[in-house]
This record gives sequence, structure tokens and C-alpha cells, in this order.
Amino acid sequence: MFGQSQTSLLLFGLCLKLSSHFFEDLLDSIIVDVASECHRIARLGLDHNLDEEEEELRLSAEARARVADPSYSGETNGKYVVDIFGQTHPSVANEIFECMNCGRSVMAGKFAPHLEKCMGKGRKARLKMTRSSTAAQSRHSRGSPVPAYSPYSNSTSTNRLANGSVGAGEPYSNGTSEEP
Amino acid sequence: MRARTSLYSNPKPCKHLSDYKLRYGTTPFENLHEFIKAGLNGRARIEGIEVPRCSSCNGYRGRLYMCLICSAVSCLNHLGLHTQSGDRHDIAVDVERAELYCCSCGDQVYDSEFDGIVVSERVRDLPEDKNGGFEGVEERTSKRRKLKLDPGIEDDPKKARTMMSLGDHKEKSCYPSGLRGLNNLGFTCFMNSVLQALLRAPPLSNFLIDRHNHDKYRNKSGKNPCLLCEIGTVFHAMHSTDHTPYSPARMLYSWWRHTPSLASFGEKDAHEFFISVLNGIHDFSDKGQERNDSEDKGNCQCIARKAFSGLLRSDVMCITCGFTSTTDEPCFDISLDMPTSNLSFKGVTNKSVEPNERTCSSTLFGCLEMYTRPERMGSDQNFHCQNCRGTSGSLKQMSIKRLPLVLCLHIKRFSQCLSRRIILKNGQYLQFPFSLDMTAYLSSSTVRNRFGNRIFAFKCLNSDSSVAYEIFAVVCHSGILQTGHYVTYLRVKDQWYKCDDPWINEVDEETVRASQTYMLFYVQRRLVINFQRVSTRIASAVKQSSKG
Repeated sequence: MFGQSQTSLLLFGLCLKLSSHFFEDLLDSIIVDVASECHRIARLGLDHNLDEEEEELRLSAEARARVADPSYSGETNGKYVVDIFGQTHPSVANEIFECMNCGRSVMAGKFAPHLEKCMGKGRKARLKMTRSSTAAQSRHSRGSPVPAYSPYSNSTSTNRLANGSVGAGEPYSNGTSEEP
Repeated sequence: MRARTSLYSNPKPCKHLSDYKLRYGTTPFENLHEFIKAGLNGRARIEGIEVPRCSSCNGYRGRLYMCLICSAVSCLNHLGLHTQSGDRHDIAVDVERAELYCCSCGDQVYDSEFDGIVVSERVRDLPEDKNGGFEGVEERTSKRRKLKLDPGIEDDPKKARTMMSLGDHKEKSCYPSGLRGLNNLGFTCFMNSVLQALLRAPPLSNFLIDRHNHDKYRNKSGKNPCLLCEIGTVFHAMHSTDHTPYSPARMLYSWWRHTPSLASFGEKDAHEFFISVLNGIHDFSDKGQERNDSEDKGNCQCIARKAFSGLLRSDVMCITCGFTSTTDEPCFDISLDMPTSNLSFKGVTNKSVEPNERTCSSTLFGCLEMYTRPERMGSDQNFHCQNCRGTSGSLKQMSIKRLPLVLCLHIKRFSQCLSRRIILKNGQYLQFPFSLDMTAYLSSSTVRNRFGNRIFAFKCLNSDSSVAYEIFAVVCHSGILQTGHYVTYLRVKDQWYKCDDPWINEVDEETVRASQTYMLFYVQRRLVINFQRVSTRIASAVKQSSKG
């Protein structure tokens, strides 16, 4: 009676109808799942800080809008004339004091580079440090473990803000064993 | 009516439910027990009967409810019919979700005894609370500290008068004590910004006030530097009446001697410095001696630990059998990933929308939620369940077992692009609240969630309910990596101050809210109320020492 192509079309149409039938059922079920969970959370008072959270979001959004406005004067981005004590400060700190390593008089703003040379530090001179076992590095730790400090686990591609060159800040460890 | 557990309230049952329970007790629930199948994702369903169909229309689609008196199944459309026909058949159970339903109220209802039965199967696998002892110690300590915070100024009217006269003489002392600029010693804003925040942490500042007359705080050269003593020196310099910026040179020197690997001229990561300093304090106990870390590990009571240390819990759950293994690890802070924002959306007009303008901006809550979300571990992890030997995989979930007094949240804005060895910075704005409630990220909450939020007194519930935090300091980073700059915003009695190396200025709250944060410092709200008194106590202690 029906040609082959027409039968295929019919079957195809039937399949579509069936699959959308099941899909709708599944979708309904998932929606009710979510509704039921939210209903439970609301009834049991588990979302009691929802209002506070929304308030914080609103305050942040308002703050951003105000700050972005060109007429905003709350912060002058470092172009302050005086601080709260009425003082001004030069761009390089000019207090003079004695270096506690060599005894020479140094200007505050140039203290760090002086100290580096004076203590023989920097990239050239590295003290020998004890490394803890590989346990510190292979463990995918997300918080900062105590007491041995290790930067982000090497398995994730993160690193520290370094001294202009990557790898200048090597992982430092006290050589202690990890927490049990 | 509040239940025992402070985390949720036991909702008041409707009169139909209480009526039902009076008539039948919990027997029907117990009879249903063998048919309740609880899944590993917190969902539960009624199984074991034949394919449920509505007794009125024989339908099987949509929600089906089984009457808890006569076991007749009805679909939503015919539920009313069943209620009217039977004699007070108004309590039913949703077959697909194992939730109670009151047909007369037309709403889902909740009962703790029913919930208890639903979770009773799975609850045997829960981890035992190993750290009960330690929690007890911590509570005692904080109680002791609270008592100390009361300075008794009211008891001494003479002291009070001194305070007021101080205020009259210098117009500038209307500013809170402890605000003082720090000189930049050459790319040391990373250190200055962290010091400003650190010295403002209430438990630490309390501790340092009491150390004021401590002998050991004079550093002896040649010995290993005591970072705690150096911090004490900076602290008291900040609270002196001298308002000119202070140069924390000794601090830098001592830190370099303590942490040789980071001892070089150039900009560093502020977070790295923060952790390094806390480790340094931890290494040297109050007695000024270097302590062997392998002993007293769990019982360390150094101020760094007391103030900042929390306990992070990691649960690994086998997908096959649900067996969960738990590891607890102390931490000084929590490092949060930012949501990746490399997506660009095509709007209705088919133009790409810039990530900054899109509707979903990232929030601190989002980061915390991501952190505590269950994560499917990849199949390359070689997971072998010790319970069922299954290797299908596992779900890993982080949560906070014990909250610290001072919560430092570190936003991981820097990432390394391995291929080209370039460090990238995510400068996207992150919304953050001033008042933070950490309930949802506690281990008790994640456990509860794993069981479908059923009303049940889980053994490992946190007894400490101090989840409310207030922000007191924010460290912000601007610019790109190598030439970037750190500033700190401090909150003192609801006035915000910007600490930009030697510059201390007042700023609006809006500036802080809109800033690009890198490290957020929160303190438990119950400690903030006392903060005001701490400042007056310091001023009085400093004045006392300068006299005598």
C-alpha cells in the first residue's frame, strides 16, 4: 500500500513523536526535582540568608555604578594632596636609617636593593635549603597547608607573582613532614 | 519550633500531618522503609512495587503519589478524588522523590521521623568526628580571649578621663589608633599591604598588646630572627603617636633571614608573604625558641594557629558504593579559583558580548560554591575503592570542618601559562560581601546536602555555630604582574581607610566594594563588637609605657 519511502517517513515521524514524548517526561521530572529540593530548602529555613546575600549584591552593583561614573570623587587614584594626618610623601621614601646588616646609612626607598647586595642575596647567591619529600608537591592541596608552605600544586598551571622572571620564587619548605 | 540542630528549623506540621501521626505513629514509615531506595546523590525514591499507575486513570506519567494509609497510587489529577473518597486519607508520599505530601493542604510537608528513616540506610557510612577534642580546646581559648577583651575602662574613671583629654588636645587623634603609613623600601608594597591587614586582625592585635612589655621582644642579632617579635615591633610603631610613615626595615631583614628563597629585591606575591610570615610565627613559639615541628603538631597554640587556622575537609566518595574516605588538613587560608571567563556570548544581534558586560558576573559566593562543589575525579586517577574495590571513579568534595577566627580568602588571580612561561592575571571584578555567612560551606552543610537535606541530627555536625563574619581588610592588586601595585583597605568602625604605602586616606565604602580584590580578611562577627575597645586599650597601654 505505502511506498518504502513513505513508510520510512511514517516511522521517522513516529520515532520523533515518541522521543519527544519521553524527553518531555524526563524534563518534567527534572524540573519537579529541582522544585522539590528548593521547596525543602525554603521550608527548613536553610536559605535564611538569601535576603542578606541579595542586599550585598545590590550594594556592590550600586557601588560599581557610582564609581564608574566620571563625576565620582570618592577616590583620586593616588593623586592625594595630603593624607589624613595632613602630611605629604615623596615618591621615594627619604627617611635615613642605619642598615642592620652593615651599619651604613641608607635611604628607606633604596633599602631593599641595598640589603640584597649587602646580604649577598638575590639570584646569584642562594642558600642551601632542605626540600621536603615529593608528598608536598604531588598532593593536590587547595588550601595553604600548615606548617610547610607549598605553592599551588604543580599539577595545576598556577604560579606566583615573581621577580619579573618566572621561577625566581622557588617553593620553600621547612623540611617538615606533612600532617598525618 | 526550633530543632536541636541550629542549622535548620523543624517546620511545624500541618494539622493533617499531626493528626495522621497521632493516629498511626511512625509505623507506616517503618513499613515503608524496605521500599525506600536512597541514592548516592541525596535523592530517594520508593521502589519495589510494580510500575506505579494511577488507580483512577491508569496513567503513569507525571507525579504519582502513594497514599500512606491504603497504598493506593494516584496521579496529581486524581489525588483529590482519593482524598474525598477515603476517610481522612490525606497523607501521601511522592513515589519518585520519597517526599511527604498533604493532599488537603496541596503541598509538600516534612517530618523528621520520616526523614530519619530515609537516611538511616546510608548514615552508617558517615565519617566519625575525629577532632572533637581539638574543637573543645579551641572553644575554651576563645572564651578566655573574650573575657580578656573587656578592658575595664569603665571601672577606672581616671583612665576614661585620660582618654577623653587625649582626644581634645590633638585634632588628629580623632583617627583610630594604629593607622600609620609604611614606607616602600623598594618594591615592598606586597609586604606593606599584608602588614596593614595582619596587624588589624583582632586576635593578633590583642595578643600583641599583651606582649608589649615582654622582654624577649628585643631582637638579639646573631640568633635566628623571631618574626613574631618583629611584627610586635611594627605593631607598636603603628600605634605610637608618631604619624610619620614607618619604615619596616627590620621586618624585611628578619623575613629575608627567615625565608632565604624569597629574599631578593623585587615585587613578590602578597599572599606568599602572608603564608610565609604565618609559618614563621608558627615555627617560633611564644617562648622564643625554635620548635621542632614534628612534635606538638596537632596541639600547637601559637597565635598564628589560634587566629588564622581552620580545618579543611576533603571527602572522596566512591561512585559505586558510596563509601567515603575523609581527610582533614589545617590551613591558614583558603585559596579560591576564579571562574574562567574566556567565554564570549553571542547576543540576539549575533555580536560577541564582552565578558565584562555579560549578565553573570563572578561573586565570592560563586567561588566558594565552586570550591565546595562535588567534583568528579577523572578516570586517570586510578581510584580503587577500599570498600567495594570498584574503579568506576570517585567524587571529591571540599568543605570546611572548622572555621578560623580570622578567615583569609585568597583569590587566585595569577596563573601560569605553561607553554610560554608567562604569568597571566585575571583582572575580572569579583563581587564580595561585607557580611559573610559561611554556613553553606561547612562540612555539616555539605554532608547534609549529600543526604538530600533530610532532617537528621548527623553526628559530625559542627557544634560551633560562629559562621557570621565581618570584613575588616582587603588587599587589592592593580596593574600587571611585574609592575603591579598593592594597596590595603582597612575598615575601622565603619570608616574605610586606604593604605597605599605611606599614604593613609579616608575612602568611601563604594570604592572598596568596586575594587579588584586579591585577599579578603574576615573576622568572626562576635569579635568585632569588642574591636572598638581594643583600640582604646592599646592607646592607654602605649601612653602608660611612654610615661614610665
